[in-house]
Amino acid sequence: MALDSTRQLTLDPVEIPAERSPEDALHLAAGSERVDILFGSFKDGRGFSLAAHLRKAGFTGELRAVGPLLPDQEGALKRVGFDTVLSDRIDAGGRGVRVPFESVYQPDPTGGGTAEPAYRQRALVARGQHADALAEMLEGASPEAILARTLEEYRGRIAVLSSFGSEAALGLKLIADIAPATPVLFLDTDRHFPQTLQYRDALIERLGLSHVEILEPDPEEAAREDSDGQLYARDSLACCALRKVRPLNRALAAYDAVITGRKRHHGGLRGSVKAVEFDGERVRINPLAHLSASEVSERFSALDLPNHPLVEAGYPSIGCWPCTAQASAQGSREGRWAGQERTECGIFDPEPGKRAERAKSVRLI
Amino acid sequence: MYRYDEIDREIVDARTAEFREQVQARLSGALTEDEFKPLRLMNGVYLQLHAYMLRVAIPYGVLSSEQLRTLAHIARTYDRGYGHFTTRQNIQFNWPKLVDIPDVLDQLAGVEMHAIQTSGNTIRNTTTDPFAGAADDEIADPRPWCELIRQWSTVHPEFTWLPRKFKIAVTGSPEDRAAIGVHDIGLKLVAKDAGEIGFEVHVGGGQGRTPRIAAKIRDYLPANELLAYLTAVLRVYNLAGRRDNLYKARIKILVESMGADAFTQAVETTYRDIRGRELALPAEEIERVSSYFVPPPAGAPDEAPSNDRAFLTWREVNVKPHKVAGRAIVVIALKPYGKAPGDATAEQMEAIADLADRYGRSEIRVTKEQNLVLPHVEAAALPSVYEGLKAIGLATANAGRPSDIVACPGLDYCNLANARSIPIAQAISEALEAAGLDEKAGEVTIKISGCINACGHHHIANIGLLGVDKKGEEVYQLTLGGIADGDAAIGKIAGPGLSANDAIDAVVTCVQVFADRAELGETFIDTLTRLGHEPFKEAVYGA
Ligand code: SF4
Ligand code: SF4
Repeated sequence: MALDSTRQLTLDPVEIPAERSPEDALHLAAGSERVDILFGSFKDGRGFSLAAHLRKAGFTGELRAVGPLLPDQEGALKRVGFDTVLSDRIDAGGRGVRVPFESVYQPDPTGGGTAEPAYRQRALVARGQHADALAEMLEGASPEAILARTLEEYRGRIAVLSSFGSEAALGLKLIADIAPATPVLFLDTDRHFPQTLQYRDALIERLGLSHVEILEPDPEEAAREDSDGQLYARDSLACCALRKVRPLNRALAAYDAVITGRKRHHGGLRGSVKAVEFDGERVRINPLAHLSASEVSERFSALDLPNHPLVEAGYPSIGCWPCTAQASAQGSREGRWAGQERTECGIFDPEPGKRAERAKSVRLI
Repeated sequence: MYRYDEIDREIVDARTAEFREQVQARLSGALTEDEFKPLRLMNGVYLQLHAYMLRVAIPYGVLSSEQLRTLAHIARTYDRGYGHFTTRQNIQFNWPKLVDIPDVLDQLAGVEMHAIQTSGNTIRNTTTDPFAGAADDEIADPRPWCELIRQWSTVHPEFTWLPRKFKIAVTGSPEDRAAIGVHDIGLKLVAKDAGEIGFEVHVGGGQGRTPRIAAKIRDYLPANELLAYLTAVLRVYNLAGRRDNLYKARIKILVESMGADAFTQAVETTYRDIRGRELALPAEEIERVSSYFVPPPAGAPDEAPSNDRAFLTWREVNVKPHKVAGRAIVVIALKPYGKAPGDATAEQMEAIADLADRYGRSEIRVTKEQNLVLPHVEAAALPSVYEGLKAIGLATANAGRPSDIVACPGLDYCNLANARSIPIAQAISEALEAAGLDEKAGEVTIKISGCINACGHHHIANIGLLGVDKKGEEVYQLTLGGIADGDAAIGKIAGPGLSANDAIDAVVTCVQVFADRAELGETFIDTLTRLGHEPFKEAVYGA
């Protein structure tokens, strides 16, 4: 749920007593830059949940906790989403500065807090170490061997990302031969070439893939952010965020490992792709990483896989129709977002500002 | 058993240091008593009738021998040489001095223990089946989940100032030895056909003034979504639970006033909003925590035959089957005839720790029946364990039998009490022994509370006693038919209040009726269901 900004922006705080319902609080806070939650007593914990609720619902203004609160509560108040605590008890008695706990057991309500909860810290370290070990073990292994091992290792928490683009059939075929029920995630941006959708359905049928998830943009968000359907022309990053990044992030929440189709021969950021990598959150399996362009096409014909209809028409890399142009070289990505600085779709990265630095984008199989 | 890593240690140490400063601030006057009170409560410190009381958390009732020795040391050094095990699988020390408490907490931290949230309007220690990881009817071991809940609920930034206390219980067996029906949240591990495990979720059970059996609000919650769902339940409660009336502040009242359906809907909506990556338990962490709870290796195959009658009776009554061959579960009933239920001296604790080291993989459990358990004893060593227990006066063969009485501290310690409980329990126990009823009667539970707060769990006793105050006099209400585990039920009041002496007689009379009228193999509830309450009432109150 997001806040509408009908209310006039103002620096006068909106005052919300802690006993108001979360729905009321959200309504009152909408459009305001500063909200004071009024605590009647330091023992009344409702304000803690109210703050967590407002933050989770997307309130980004200043949140202040106002009332007879104790210095002992300041750390927790800040963790649930308050910026400031206004209380005449805070400095009473000269008790000095409270040192906040360094480690925590719980995530902050927005999930974007300073410290990860212990269970995630530990798990992510273990996941990274495990991925490194797998990468070492599978160095130089065949795509089949890489898939067999990782599909088993991450069973129940692994998915394939596929655009059903020009090279997708190869990876999907190998997966279908080992574990046809592996979830295949497809982003339906509503901007695909009709040929892609036909090709997708034909491949699913032919390979016997039994679990395909079609990910669509949230209809409410689409109506709000792209009411005229022309967002791609004004701001392609915002369009991709709406149609790819967010739907994919929602779907990926259920998975710890993803199989991608990235290959070193794509060049650019992909020149050094390894078979198994850890991106700080998930394990990425790139079973085709070391295949050259010609090896890909050899395998394509050896397995008698159908080509995407647009490949013949001169599109070596295929995405949404507004953002895909013809290009010269096979396997090349130069036709993607032609004339812009971008070469990647930004999937995986909800914050455009950090996109470059994190370089988390992937190429779909 | 779970072992702390650096993060766990850091959090407990930080909390102990924080409380040390709070005690200083109280002593210097920087904190008022009104401000200090909830802070000390959430660190386990009560002000009792005669002194401060420290309640130490025994996470889900699991203790190592080293931890038990530390408790013995604390009992000897800072208390009067004994500790009291409670119906919440914790231990209480009744006589420590406030200034000593931070030191006690430091010593506890040294063996990975604490008193955090054993009191106050917080999420309390999670309780579970004392036979977890040993019971032969288990679907999955509940302890890893209890540990994950322990961590999540410890120093929770959002849920430390709840309307009222909050208790979670988890069972891994269909049998349910954790009384999930009378907890704020009761979780039952269930398995799907494909072998995945998850939880059936019950909310809104409780005892006290308004006893309620929890409503089932979800049939299946994927196990890794546990924290998201708990957060949703707690958030709905924290925001909407009543804060104007102490007696109406528990979640059971909220569930009842909203209606189970509307409550469920509110939880599900919140759950949908908040679930996601951050609240999902990662597979790696579930695996890490689970790896601390592996079953013990098989014991030696042979158990030496014995013809010691006393040993054989004890073996039949106090020893339960283990899921691993050559091992057995030993219940140490802290109920010697005529003694205070749940009390153990420092020497007894040390001797039990030794037995656990020698024969039972150094592990001890605490039960809600105020007993201790050696969960993984080598079957071949049962005679030695028996001898060891006999030497400290704890080999009474009465686990689950009439004299295995549960009693709250009552008027002897508690400033809320209307009536005594411990002396009543002692007198009943003596009368039962004199009448030989432990041998004659089968399984029956007797529980006594000194007031309506029901710490003695009388509502869910087969035979319950509740102390009430009638114009300055101690009077006891007799209830019949309560059930703690499985299909939990609240006992029904049998008749008018009774004086202390009459109450003692009444309980013994009910056990006598049971012993006389039971058919082969019947439990008290079986007999009560078959005969109805009448014969019991008649025997107690006359025709
Ligand atoms: S590739 Fe183009 S049309 Fe497709 S989501 Fe991105 S910007 Fe929009
Ligand atoms: S039931 Fe009452 S008397 Fe007994 S311990 Fe609880 S509060 Fe005290």
